[in-house]
Amino acid sequence: MKTNKAYTSVPRSVLVYISWRNLISKKLRALLTLFGIVIGIGAIFFLLSFGIGLQELVTNQVVGNQSVKTITITSPNSRVVALDNDSYNKIKAFPHVSDIGSSYSLAGVIVVRNSRIDTIAYGADAKYMEMQNPGIVAGRLLKPDDNKSVVVNLSVIKAIGVDSAKAALGKQIKMSIPVDASGDPQRTVDDNFAIVGVIEGQGGNEAYIPGDIVTAKGAKGYSQLLAKADNASSVTELRSKVRTLGLETTSAIDTVEQIGQVFKFFNIILVVFGAIGMIVAVLGMFNTLTISLLERTREIGLMVALGGRNRDMRKLFIFEAVLLSVLGAVVGMIGAIILGQIINLIMNLIAQHRGVTESFQLFAVPWWLVVGSLLFMIVVGLVVVYIPARRASRINPIDALRRD
Amino acid sequence: MADDSTALISVQDISQEFTVGDELIKPLQNVTFDISPNSFNIIYGASGSGKSTLLNVLTGLQKPTRGIITVEGRNVYELEPDELAHFRATKLGFVYQTNFWIESLNVLDNVAMSLYFMGKTRSEAAAAAKDALAQVHMESYAKKMPNMLSGGEQQRIAMARALASSPAFIIGDEPTGSLDTKSGEMVMELLKRCQRELGRTIILVTHNLEYLPLADRLLHIEDGHVKVMQSDSVHETSMQLLHEMEDRIKRIEENRKNEKNENQ
Repeated sequence: MKTNKAYTSVPRSVLVYISWRNLISKKLRALLTLFGIVIGIGAIFFLLSFGIGLQELVTNQVVGNQSVKTITITSPNSRVVALDNDSYNKIKAFPHVSDIGSSYSLAGVIVVRNSRIDTIAYGADAKYMEMQNPGIVAGRLLKPDDNKSVVVNLSVIKAIGVDSAKAALGKQIKMSIPVDASGDPQRTVDDNFAIVGVIEGQGGNEAYIPGDIVTAKGAKGYSQLLAKADNASSVTELRSKVRTLGLETTSAIDTVEQIGQVFKFFNIILVVFGAIGMIVAVLGMFNTLTISLLERTREIGLMVALGGRNRDMRKLFIFEAVLLSVLGAVVGMIGAIILGQIINLIMNLIAQHRGVTESFQLFAVPWWLVVGSLLFMIVVGLVVVYIPARRASRINPIDALRRD
Repeated sequence: MADDSTALISVQDISQEFTVGDELIKPLQNVTFDISPNSFNIIYGASGSGKSTLLNVLTGLQKPTRGIITVEGRNVYELEPDELAHFRATKLGFVYQTNFWIESLNVLDNVAMSLYFMGKTRSEAAAAAKDALAQVHMESYAKKMPNMLSGGEQQRIAMARALASSPAFIIGDEPTGSLDTKSGEMVMELLKRCQRELGRTIILVTHNLEYLPLADRLLHIEDGHVKVMQSDSVHETSMQLLHEMEDRIKRIEENRKNEKNENQ
């Protein structure tokens, strides 16, 4: 039995060239077909880009800068299970824990020029602040050897009447923070603190002082621990270990997953709308390739008579479909990105007009969406071309070249 | 009787049959002949005599119902599909009556087509195709689109296409059929030159009597039967065919006269 390898195959570039020449020889038809594909894949790409962009926007707003490796540990009932040094040390000793931080959250008061400003006061250690990763506006976060230092958010700066975050650095503020409900002055932090850093946050007053100070006043049990896993995949394992201590854990992953669930449905709806355009594109493509086959029956017969192999004839059609798919997908995606950016610009302008200061991005173009759309379109093209290509490979040159 | 040592093509007892409706059609019946290298062969016969079928069978496009065809010692219809395609690309050059083109490609690419199917790259094929165009003095037409050219020009380019892969055989299926006398003669001269100067073997199907003297061998096909005549008897055969035609014309004229007489 002789193998087919004895003969050099037709160079792919030659077949692509013939397919390409055939496409551009029927410019109007090729353009209309391409237009259909551009609309079809462009619509899906545009809608998904919007869905993903919106999801990212929402996720960023909700989760912010929290790391997915960090878990928040609280006690469901502090009278039953205390979140104390004991549990702190136990968790610290768990495998996969790379960092741990603690904080008390208390209600406190900032006293400025005889006015008392309510604030949430956190007694936090440096690790906690670092893991919480708030956006620094000026200065720095708390350090381990900080003593009478405080980090406040922008809301506090506004409340104490300082013009800018920078101007607030080094300023002394008097704070009064009872560590429990006893009202005992011995169990109240009452001191002057120097502002060493300003962080983002305008939703409510927040001030961070070193946790040691609160501990020294006899506070019992932390409000919250933050533990960081050495990698994202060990988060689940770590959480279940923490739960065995009777403690509760939350993670940014939970929120991200919940948002993801909602958007999964949203994206499906968007894709269904996009699919309508895609169906039209597919029909157009099928039509074009079938007409191309019928018109070229004689040409294909000729090529077979001149020594073309059946599979070369099939490849001619496959390349034609792939050329259409790739061109359509590229143009469609570029069009969708441009349209998205125009809409995004308009939305930002409208938002600015209504007083929103931060700019936002409604459309996301992750690399996998680009590659995925391209591959998807190529696969669609290959499915569409299957029948015409098979018919092309079965053309009998005698019938095709018969004089009529 | 087939002598494989000298025969380039050996046709042994082939028959072709097929049914159309209830009717059994036998375009070829027990045909046997050889074609020797560097010969000029004309297959001659009236319309519907089986010429085209014989050509299709010879070129590996249509498997005969019975019989064996060997080309250079190999049975054509036992080749793998890819081998058969390769055989067509390398061994055969076709010239048709009305020429078919890949309409989106220019003259050069059309001429290069069988070279592409042999696996040549575009630059290799272009060089060989230019040589082939030069042989028919059509180099300056390389970038034109074939359908824009006159019938005679197209036929010269078809000759170039047939020559491009340096095939052993040039197959002409009524290549002068659609041409005026002058263009027709030019095509025949080209074919003759291919045989004499390039050593090609020519197999030509025609029903045009005036070209018969060009042949070394004449394959007269009538109702599916093939009679082979050598070059020395080509002249006699041509004359004989002319006489036969004369006889037929006379018979038809007599029939008409008789009909008229009966009507009166």
